[in-house]
Amino acid sequence: MNIEAIWQAQTQQALFREMLEAMARPGTVRDLAHHLEGANALRGLLATLMDGSTTLADPHGLVHDADRVLLQAALDMPERARFVAVDGERAPDFQPALGTLASPELGATLVIVVDALDAGSLTLDLTGPGVESVKRLACAGLHPDWIAAREEWNADFPLGVDLILVDKTKLAAMPRTTRINVLAEVH
Amino acid sequence: MNMTSHTPTAYNFGFLDEYAKKEVRRAILKAVSIPGYQVPYASREMPMGRGFGTGGLQLTLSLIGPGEVLKVIDQGSDDSVNAVNLRQFIEMTCPGVSTTTRTAEATLIQSRHRIPERPLTGDQIIVLQVPYPDALVVVEPSEDKRKIMHGEADYSRLLVKLYEDIVQFDEITISHRYPTRINGHYVIDPSPIPRWDVPKLHHSRSLALFGAGREKKIYAVPPHTDAEPLVFTDVPFRVEDFRDGEGRRRACERCGCADSFLDEFVDGSGEKVYQCSDSDWCDEHLAEANQGVTA
Repeated sequence: MNIEAIWQAQTQQALFREMLEAMARPGTVRDLAHHLEGANALRGLLATLMDGSTTLADPHGLVHDADRVLLQAALDMPERARFVAVDGERAPDFQPALGTLASPELGATLVIVVDALDAGSLTLDLTGPGVESVKRLACAGLHPDWIAAREEWNADFPLGVDLILVDKTKLAAMPRTTRINVLAEVH
Repeated sequence: MNMTSHTPTAYNFGFLDEYAKKEVRRAILKAVSIPGYQVPYASREMPMGRGFGTGGLQLTLSLIGPGEVLKVIDQGSDDSVNAVNLRQFIEMTCPGVSTTTRTAEATLIQSRHRIPERPLTGDQIIVLQVPYPDALVVVEPSEDKRKIMHGEADYSRLLVKLYEDIVQFDEITISHRYPTRINGHYVIDPSPIPRWDVPKLHHSRSLALFGAGREKKIYAVPPHTDAEPLVFTDVPFRVEDFRDGEGRRRACERCGCADSFLDEFVDGSGEKVYQCSDSDWCDEHLAEANQGVTA
Protein backbone atom coordinates (compact mmCIF):
# COMPACT_ATOMS: atom_id res chain seq x y z
CA MET A 1 0.00 0.00 0.00
CA ASN A 2 1.29 3.41 -0.94
CA ILE A 3 0.81 5.94 1.88
CA GLU A 4 1.07 9.61 0.97
CA ALA A 5 4.12 11.26 2.55
CA ILE A 6 2.19 13.67 4.81
CA TRP A 7 0.58 10.77 6.68
CA GLN A 8 3.93 9.19 7.52
CA ALA A 9 5.56 9.73 10.89
CA GLN A 10 8.96 10.67 9.50
CA THR A 11 7.49 13.40 7.27
CA GLN A 12 5.39 14.72 10.13
CA GLN A 13 8.48 14.97 12.33
CA ALA A 14 10.28 17.00 9.65
CA LEU A 15 7.21 19.19 9.10
CA PHE A 16 6.86 19.80 12.83
CA ARG A 17 10.45 21.00 13.03
CA GLU A 18 9.75 23.45 10.20
CA MET A 19 6.67 24.72 12.06
CA LEU A 20 8.63 25.06 15.28
CA GLU A 21 11.33 27.07 13.49
CA ALA A 22 8.63 29.25 11.98
CA MET A 23 6.92 29.81 15.34
CA ALA A 24 10.21 30.47 17.17
CA ARG A 25 11.32 32.94 14.47
CA PRO A 26 8.21 34.88 13.42
CA GLY A 27 8.08 35.96 9.82
CA THR A 28 10.66 33.44 8.66
CA VAL A 29 9.29 31.70 5.59
CA ARG A 30 9.89 27.94 5.59
CA ASP A 31 9.59 26.06 2.30
CA LEU A 32 8.08 22.63 2.96
CA ALA A 33 8.01 21.46 -0.67
CA HIS A 34 10.63 18.72 -0.33
CA HIS A 35 8.74 17.18 2.61
CA LEU A 36 5.26 17.49 1.14
CA GLU A 37 5.86 15.48 -2.04
CA GLY A 38 3.08 17.23 -3.93
CA ALA A 39 0.64 17.84 -1.09
CA ASN A 40 -0.13 21.42 -0.14
CA ALA A 41 1.19 23.06 3.02
CA LEU A 42 -2.24 23.23 4.70
CA ARG A 43 -2.72 19.47 4.40
CA GLY A 44 0.83 18.82 5.63
CA LEU A 45 0.32 21.08 8.62
CA LEU A 46 -3.01 19.57 9.59
CA ALA A 47 -1.77 16.01 9.13
CA THR A 48 1.13 16.82 11.45
CA LEU A 49 -0.84 18.47 14.25
CA MET A 50 -4.32 16.93 14.23
CA ASP A 51 -5.57 13.86 16.02
CA GLY A 52 -8.68 12.86 17.93
CA SER A 53 -7.81 14.91 20.99
CA THR A 54 -7.96 18.33 19.37
CA THR A 55 -10.63 20.28 17.50
CA LEU A 56 -10.68 21.87 14.06
CA ALA A 57 -12.99 24.43 12.49
CA ASP A 58 -13.19 24.67 8.73
CA PRO A 59 -15.65 27.52 8.04
CA HIS A 60 -14.50 28.00 4.43
CA GLY A 61 -14.54 24.34 3.45
CA LEU A 62 -10.79 24.03 2.81
CA VAL A 63 -10.43 20.44 4.04
CA HIS A 64 -11.53 17.56 1.82
CA ASP A 65 -13.87 14.95 3.26
CA ALA A 66 -11.32 12.17 2.75
CA ASP A 67 -8.71 14.12 4.76
CA ARG A 68 -11.17 14.99 7.48
CA VAL A 69 -11.57 11.30 8.33
CA LEU A 70 -7.82 10.75 8.49
CA LEU A 71 -7.21 13.89 10.57
CA GLN A 72 -9.53 12.46 13.28
CA ALA A 73 -10.01 15.90 14.83
CA ALA A 74 -13.53 16.67 16.02
CA LEU A 75 -15.10 19.48 13.99
CA ASP A 76 -16.12 22.52 16.00
CA MET A 77 -17.32 26.08 15.55
CA PRO A 78 -14.65 28.65 14.59
CA GLU A 79 -15.48 30.46 17.84
CA ARG A 80 -14.50 27.42 19.90
CA ALA A 81 -12.04 25.25 17.97
CA ARG A 82 -8.37 24.96 18.94
CA PHE A 83 -7.38 25.14 15.27
CA VAL A 84 -9.22 27.14 12.62
CA ALA A 85 -8.34 26.86 8.94
CA VAL A 86 -9.45 29.86 6.90
CA ASP A 87 -9.16 31.42 3.47
CA GLY A 88 -7.09 34.60 3.86
CA GLU A 89 -8.84 36.40 1.01
CA ARG A 90 -12.09 36.52 2.97
CA ALA A 91 -12.44 38.97 5.83
CA PRO A 92 -12.85 37.45 9.30
CA ASP A 93 -16.48 37.12 10.42
CA PHE A 94 -16.03 35.32 13.73
CA GLN A 95 -14.09 35.74 16.95
CA PRO A 96 -11.85 32.76 17.66
CA ALA A 97 -11.21 31.38 21.15
CA LEU A 98 -8.74 33.63 22.97
CA GLY A 99 -8.06 31.35 25.95
CA THR A 100 -8.44 32.35 29.57
CA LEU A 101 -6.14 34.18 31.95
CA ALA A 102 -5.30 30.90 33.69
CA SER A 103 -5.09 28.87 30.46
CA PRO A 104 -4.04 31.11 27.57
CA GLU A 105 -2.97 28.06 25.55
CA LEU A 106 -6.68 27.57 24.81
CA GLY A 107 -6.41 30.57 22.47
CA ALA A 108 -6.84 29.27 18.91
CA THR A 109 -4.20 28.68 16.27
CA LEU A 110 -5.46 30.21 13.02
CA VAL A 111 -4.12 28.63 9.88
CA ILE A 112 -4.62 31.20 7.13
CA VAL A 113 -4.27 30.15 3.51
CA VAL A 114 -2.83 32.96 1.38
CA ASP A 115 -1.83 33.15 -2.29
CA ALA A 116 1.88 33.66 -1.77
CA LEU A 117 4.46 34.17 0.95
CA ASP A 118 7.74 35.96 0.31
CA ALA A 119 6.02 37.80 -2.54
CA GLY A 120 3.07 40.11 -2.95
CA SER A 121 2.04 43.65 -2.24
CA LEU A 122 1.29 43.39 1.49
CA THR A 123 4.46 44.02 3.44
CA LEU A 124 4.60 43.50 7.18
CA ASP A 125 7.39 44.49 9.54
CA LEU A 126 7.47 42.15 12.53
CA THR A 127 9.10 42.67 15.91
CA GLY A 128 8.91 40.83 19.22
CA PRO A 129 10.20 37.57 20.72
CA GLY A 130 12.05 35.46 18.17
CA VAL A 131 12.92 38.45 15.99
CA GLU A 132 16.42 39.87 16.36
CA SER A 133 15.58 43.39 15.19
CA VAL A 134 12.89 43.60 12.52
CA LYS A 135 11.69 40.84 10.20
CA ARG A 136 10.01 41.81 6.96
CA LEU A 137 7.36 39.48 5.58
CA ALA A 138 5.67 39.95 2.22
CA CYS A 139 2.50 38.13 1.29
CA ALA A 140 -0.29 38.14 -1.24
CA GLY A 141 -3.91 37.24 -0.72
CA LEU A 142 -4.32 38.24 2.92
CA HIS A 143 -7.34 40.43 3.63
CA PRO A 144 -6.04 43.37 5.73
CA ASP A 145 -8.91 42.90 8.20
CA TRP A 146 -7.12 39.81 9.57
CA ILE A 147 -4.28 42.01 10.79
CA ALA A 148 -6.70 44.50 12.38
CA ALA A 149 -8.81 41.76 13.97
CA ARG A 150 -5.72 40.01 15.28
CA GLU A 151 -4.59 43.19 16.96
CA GLU A 152 -7.91 43.37 18.76
CA TRP A 153 -7.85 39.67 19.73
CA ASN A 154 -4.30 39.95 21.04
CA ALA A 155 -4.80 43.19 22.97
CA ASP A 156 -4.75 41.52 26.40
CA PHE A 157 -1.67 39.31 26.61
CA PRO A 158 -1.51 36.44 27.54
CA LEU A 159 -4.91 36.00 25.84
CA GLY A 160 -4.87 35.82 22.08
CA VAL A 161 -4.52 33.84 18.88
CA ASP A 162 -1.47 32.55 17.06
CA LEU A 163 -1.32 32.81 13.28
CA ILE A 164 0.26 30.44 10.82
CA LEU A 165 0.17 31.62 7.20
CA VAL A 166 0.49 29.02 4.48
CA ASP A 167 0.63 29.29 0.72
CA LYS A 168 0.91 26.29 -1.63
CA THR A 169 4.13 24.94 -0.12
CA LYS A 170 5.45 27.55 2.31
CA LEU A 171 4.66 28.54 5.87
CA ALA A 172 5.31 31.48 8.19
CA ALA A 173 4.06 32.15 11.71
CA MET A 174 3.07 35.10 13.86
CA PRO A 175 2.52 34.10 17.48
CA ARG A 176 0.47 36.41 19.71
CA THR A 177 3.61 38.17 20.94
CA THR A 178 4.56 39.44 17.49
CA ARG A 179 3.97 43.12 16.82
CA ILE A 180 3.00 43.87 13.25
CA ASN A 181 3.63 47.10 11.45
CA VAL A 182 1.78 47.19 8.13
CA LEU A 183 3.76 49.05 5.52
CA ALA A 184 1.80 50.76 2.79
CA GLU A 185 0.74 48.32 0.13
CA VAL A 186 3.01 48.69 -2.88
CA HIS A 187 1.45 48.30 -6.28
CA MET B 1 -0.03 3.53 9.60
CA ASN B 2 2.47 5.75 11.30
CA MET B 3 5.04 3.06 12.03
CA THR B 4 8.28 3.52 10.16
CA SER B 5 8.89 0.30 8.28
CA HIS B 6 12.68 0.27 8.69
CA THR B 7 12.66 0.36 12.50
CA PRO B 8 14.80 -2.53 13.68
CA THR B 9 13.37 -2.48 17.20
CA ALA B 10 9.89 -3.50 18.23
CA TYR B 11 9.24 0.07 19.35
CA ASN B 12 7.98 3.01 17.35
CA PHE B 13 10.72 5.45 16.33
CA GLY B 14 11.33 7.57 19.40
CA PHE B 15 9.54 5.08 21.72
CA LEU B 16 6.49 7.35 22.11
CA ASP B 17 3.48 6.58 19.94
CA GLU B 18 2.62 9.20 17.33
CA TYR B 19 -0.38 10.46 19.31
CA ALA B 20 1.80 11.20 22.32
CA LYS B 21 4.26 13.06 20.08
CA LYS B 22 1.48 15.12 18.50
CA GLU B 23 0.21 16.19 21.89
CA VAL B 24 3.71 17.23 22.99
CA ARG B 25 4.26 19.03 19.67
CA ARG B 26 1.05 21.05 20.01
CA ALA B 27 2.09 21.96 23.55
CA ILE B 28 5.55 23.03 22.33
CA LEU B 29 4.06 25.37 19.71
CA LYS B 30 1.84 27.02 22.34
CA ALA B 31 4.79 27.23 24.75
CA VAL B 32 6.77 29.13 22.11
CA SER B 33 3.79 31.38 21.34
CA ILE B 34 3.35 32.32 25.02
CA PRO B 35 6.96 32.67 26.23
CA GLY B 36 7.43 31.44 29.79
CA TYR B 37 3.89 30.09 30.21
CA GLN B 38 3.74 26.50 31.49
CA VAL B 39 1.61 24.56 29.02
CA PRO B 40 0.07 21.44 30.62
CA TYR B 41 0.42 18.12 28.81
CA ALA B 42 -0.34 14.48 29.55
CA SER B 43 3.25 13.30 30.27
CA ARG B 44 3.30 9.61 29.36
CA GLU B 45 4.81 6.82 31.41
CA MET B 46 8.40 6.33 30.35
CA PRO B 47 10.52 3.26 31.11
CA MET B 48 12.33 5.23 33.83
CA GLY B 49 11.15 6.97 36.95
CA ARG B 50 9.67 10.44 36.87
CA GLY B 51 12.37 12.74 38.17
CA PHE B 52 14.99 11.16 35.91
CA GLY B 53 14.48 13.58 33.06
CA THR B 54 11.28 12.17 31.58
CA GLY B 55 9.98 15.66 30.76
CA GLY B 56 13.10 16.56 28.81
CA LEU B 57 13.10 13.12 27.25
CA GLN B 58 9.54 13.42 25.96
CA LEU B 59 10.44 16.77 24.40
CA THR B 60 13.55 15.29 22.79
CA LEU B 61 11.66 12.25 21.46
CA SER B 62 8.94 14.48 19.97
CA LEU B 63 11.53 16.70 18.28
CA ILE B 64 14.10 14.22 17.07
CA GLY B 65 14.33 12.75 13.60
CA PRO B 66 16.78 10.76 11.49
CA GLY B 67 19.94 12.76 10.78
CA GLU B 68 19.75 14.57 14.12
CA VAL B 69 23.01 15.02 16.05
CA LEU B 70 22.19 14.78 19.73
CA LYS B 71 24.20 15.74 22.81
CA VAL B 72 23.02 14.76 26.30
CA ILE B 73 24.43 16.53 29.34
CA ASP B 74 24.10 15.87 33.07
CA GLN B 75 25.57 18.63 35.26
CA GLY B 76 27.89 19.71 32.45
CA SER B 77 29.20 16.24 31.72
CA ASP B 78 28.28 13.77 28.98
CA ASP B 79 29.51 10.86 31.11
CA SER B 80 27.36 11.25 34.21
CA VAL B 81 24.87 8.48 34.87
CA ASN B 82 21.72 10.38 33.89
CA ALA B 83 23.22 11.51 30.58
CA VAL B 84 24.52 8.04 29.75
CA ASN B 85 21.16 6.42 30.52
CA LEU B 86 19.15 8.87 28.46
CA ARG B 87 21.61 8.83 25.55
CA GLN B 88 21.57 5.03 25.39
CA PHE B 89 17.79 4.98 25.53
CA ILE B 90 17.53 7.49 22.67
CA GLU B 91 20.15 5.64 20.60
CA MET B 92 18.20 2.42 21.10
CA THR B 93 14.80 3.83 20.17
CA CYS B 94 15.81 6.33 17.45
CA PRO B 95 17.70 4.56 14.65
CA GLY B 96 19.41 6.99 12.27
CA VAL B 97 20.20 9.50 15.01
CA SER B 98 23.82 10.15 15.88
CA THR B 99 25.17 11.37 19.18
CA THR B 100 28.10 13.59 20.05
CA THR B 101 29.77 15.10 23.09
CA ARG B 102 30.82 18.20 21.11
CA THR B 103 28.53 21.16 21.70
CA ALA B 104 29.46 22.67 18.34
CA GLU B 105 28.38 19.54 16.41
CA ALA B 106 25.01 19.04 18.08
CA THR B 107 21.70 20.03 16.50
CA LEU B 108 19.70 19.06 19.59
CA ILE B 109 20.97 19.21 23.16
CA GLN B 110 19.18 17.72 26.15
CA SER B 111 20.64 18.92 29.41
CA ARG B 112 20.23 18.57 33.15
CA HIS B 113 21.28 21.58 35.21
CA ARG B 114 23.67 23.30 32.79
CA ILE B 115 23.67 25.32 29.59
CA PRO B 116 26.90 24.77 27.64
CA GLU B 117 29.61 27.44 27.93
CA ARG B 118 29.96 27.69 24.16
CA PRO B 119 27.23 30.07 22.96
CA LEU B 120 24.51 28.12 21.18
CA THR B 121 23.68 28.91 17.56
CA GLY B 122 20.42 29.50 15.74
CA ASP B 123 20.60 25.97 14.34
CA GLN B 124 20.51 24.37 17.78
CA ILE B 125 17.68 23.66 20.21
CA ILE B 126 18.36 23.08 23.90
CA VAL B 127 15.98 20.96 25.98
CA LEU B 128 16.27 21.37 29.74
CA GLN B 129 15.04 18.82 32.27
CA VAL B 130 12.92 20.47 34.94
CA PRO B 131 12.10 19.06 38.39
CA TYR B 132 10.00 22.00 39.67
CA PRO B 133 8.53 24.17 36.91
CA ASP B 134 6.69 26.80 38.93
CA ALA B 135 8.69 29.65 40.47
CA LEU B 136 5.62 30.65 42.52
CA VAL B 137 5.36 27.36 44.39
CA VAL B 138 7.46 28.74 47.26
CA VAL B 139 4.87 31.43 47.97
CA GLU B 140 1.54 29.88 46.89
CA PRO B 141 0.59 26.20 47.34
CA SER B 142 -2.56 26.28 45.18
CA GLU B 143 -1.94 25.75 41.47
CA ASP B 144 -5.27 27.39 40.58
CA LYS B 145 -4.18 30.54 42.35
CA ARG B 146 -0.68 30.39 40.87
CA LYS B 147 -2.12 30.20 37.37
CA ILE B 148 -4.10 33.39 37.98
CA MET B 149 -1.03 35.09 39.49
CA HIS B 150 1.03 34.11 36.44
CA GLY B 151 -1.70 35.33 34.09
CA GLU B 152 -1.78 38.69 35.81
CA ALA B 153 2.04 38.75 36.04
CA ASP B 154 1.55 39.27 39.78
CA TYR B 155 4.90 38.42 41.33
CA SER B 156 4.70 40.69 44.36
CA ARG B 157 4.86 37.81 46.84
CA LEU B 158 7.89 36.39 45.10
CA LEU B 159 9.58 39.78 45.31
CA VAL B 160 8.78 39.91 49.03
CA LYS B 161 10.50 36.55 49.38
CA LEU B 162 13.59 37.92 47.65
CA TYR B 163 13.43 41.05 49.79
CA GLU B 164 13.40 38.94 52.97
CA ASP B 165 16.68 37.44 51.76
CA ILE B 166 18.19 40.90 51.41
CA VAL B 167 17.02 41.88 54.90
CA GLN B 168 18.60 38.76 56.37
CA PHE B 169 21.72 38.28 54.27
CA ASP B 170 22.21 41.53 52.33
CA GLU B 171 21.80 39.65 49.10
CA ILE B 172 19.48 37.24 47.31
CA THR B 173 20.73 33.79 48.26
CA ILE B 174 19.18 31.69 45.50
CA SER B 175 22.02 29.64 44.00
CA HIS B 176 20.15 27.86 41.22
CA ARG B 177 16.60 27.86 39.76
CA TYR B 178 16.79 31.66 39.82
CA PRO B 179 13.34 33.14 39.00
CA THR B 180 13.61 34.73 35.58
CA ARG B 181 11.10 36.96 33.85
CA ILE B 182 10.47 36.14 30.20
CA ASN B 183 9.42 38.82 27.71
CA GLY B 184 8.38 41.11 30.56
CA HIS B 185 5.52 38.87 31.72
CA TYR B 186 5.81 35.27 32.95
CA VAL B 187 8.40 34.39 35.59
CA ILE B 188 9.86 30.92 35.05
CA ASP B 189 11.89 28.50 37.07
CA PRO B 190 14.75 28.13 34.56
CA SER B 191 15.46 24.59 35.92
CA PRO B 192 18.34 23.99 38.35
CA ILE B 193 20.93 25.79 36.22
CA PRO B 194 23.37 27.90 38.25
CA ARG B 195 23.07 31.69 38.19
CA TRP B 196 26.03 31.58 35.80
CA ASP B 197 23.78 30.17 33.07
CA VAL B 198 20.77 32.47 33.50
CA PRO B 199 22.14 35.33 31.34
CA LYS B 200 22.64 32.80 28.51
CA LEU B 201 18.84 32.63 28.12
CA HIS B 202 18.62 36.37 27.46
CA HIS B 203 18.39 37.01 23.72
CA SER B 204 19.92 33.64 22.97
CA ARG B 205 20.29 32.65 19.34
CA SER B 206 18.82 29.22 20.10
CA LEU B 207 15.38 28.13 21.25
CA ALA B 208 15.24 26.78 24.83
CA LEU B 209 12.53 24.28 25.75
CA PHE B 210 11.79 23.14 29.29
CA GLY B 211 10.10 19.83 30.15
CA ALA B 212 8.80 18.78 33.55
CA GLY B 213 7.65 15.14 33.34
CA ARG B 214 6.38 14.67 36.86
CA GLU B 215 4.67 18.07 36.98
CA LYS B 216 3.42 17.66 33.38
CA LYS B 217 4.44 21.08 32.08
CA ILE B 218 6.24 22.36 28.99
CA TYR B 219 7.50 25.92 28.60
CA ALA B 220 9.87 27.82 26.36
CA VAL B 221 12.18 30.76 25.96
CA PRO B 222 12.22 31.61 22.24
CA PRO B 223 15.39 33.01 20.63
CA HIS B 224 15.96 36.78 20.82
CA THR B 225 13.66 37.13 23.83
CA ASP B 226 14.11 39.06 27.07
CA ALA B 227 15.01 36.76 29.98
CA GLU B 228 15.68 38.88 33.04
CA PRO B 229 16.43 37.53 36.51
CA LEU B 230 14.12 39.06 39.13
CA VAL B 231 16.07 41.74 40.98
CA PHE B 232 15.73 45.07 42.73
CA THR B 233 17.26 48.10 41.05
CA ASP B 234 19.62 48.73 43.97
CA VAL B 235 20.68 45.06 44.33
CA PRO B 236 21.89 43.94 40.92
CA PHE B 237 21.91 40.31 39.83
CA ARG B 238 25.31 38.71 39.98
CA VAL B 239 26.64 35.33 38.95
CA GLU B 240 28.88 33.01 40.95
CA ASP B 241 32.18 34.51 42.06
CA PHE B 242 35.17 32.22 41.51
CA ARG B 243 37.82 34.42 43.10
CA ASP B 244 40.06 33.02 45.81
CA GLY B 245 40.92 34.72 49.12
CA GLU B 246 43.39 37.03 47.38
CA GLY B 247 40.89 38.10 44.78
CA ARG B 248 42.37 36.10 41.91
CA ARG B 249 39.95 34.33 39.54
CA ARG B 250 40.35 30.59 40.04
CA ALA B 251 41.19 28.61 36.91
CA CYS B 252 40.35 25.08 35.89
CA GLU B 253 42.94 22.62 37.27
CA ARG B 254 42.77 20.56 34.08
CA CYS B 255 42.64 23.01 31.15
CA GLY B 256 43.54 26.32 32.78
CA CYS B 257 40.39 28.10 31.64
CA ALA B 258 39.64 31.10 33.85
CA ASP B 259 36.27 32.15 32.48
CA SER B 260 34.08 29.05 32.86
CA PHE B 261 31.76 27.77 35.58
CA LEU B 262 33.87 25.68 37.96
CA ASP B 263 33.05 22.59 40.02
CA GLU B 264 34.83 22.16 43.34
CA PHE B 265 36.44 18.83 44.18
CA VAL B 266 38.54 17.56 47.05
CA ASP B 267 41.57 15.68 45.75
CA GLY B 268 43.34 12.73 47.40
CA SER B 269 45.40 14.90 49.71
CA GLY B 270 42.35 16.79 50.99
CA GLU B 271 43.07 19.91 48.92
CA LYS B 272 40.26 21.74 47.13
CA VAL B 273 40.65 21.72 43.35
CA TYR B 274 38.52 23.37 40.67
CA GLN B 275 37.55 22.07 37.24
CA CYS B 276 35.33 23.20 34.39
CA SER B 277 31.82 21.88 34.90
CA ASP B 278 31.28 21.75 31.12
CA SER B 279 33.38 18.74 30.07
CA ASP B 280 33.30 19.51 26.34
CA TRP B 281 34.46 23.08 26.98
CA CYS B 282 37.28 21.71 29.14
CA ASP B 283 38.33 19.11 26.54
CA GLU B 284 38.40 21.74 23.84
CA HIS B 285 40.57 24.08 25.89
CA LEU B 286 42.88 21.24 26.81
CA ALA B 287 43.28 20.29 23.14
CA GLU B 288 44.05 23.93 22.27
CA ALA B 289 46.59 24.15 25.07
CA ASN B 290 48.28 20.92 23.93
CA GLN B 291 48.40 22.16 20.35
CA GLY B 292 50.14 25.26 21.63
CA VAL B 293 52.77 23.05 23.28
CA THR B 294 53.47 20.92 20.21
CA ALA B 295 53.51 23.87 17.79
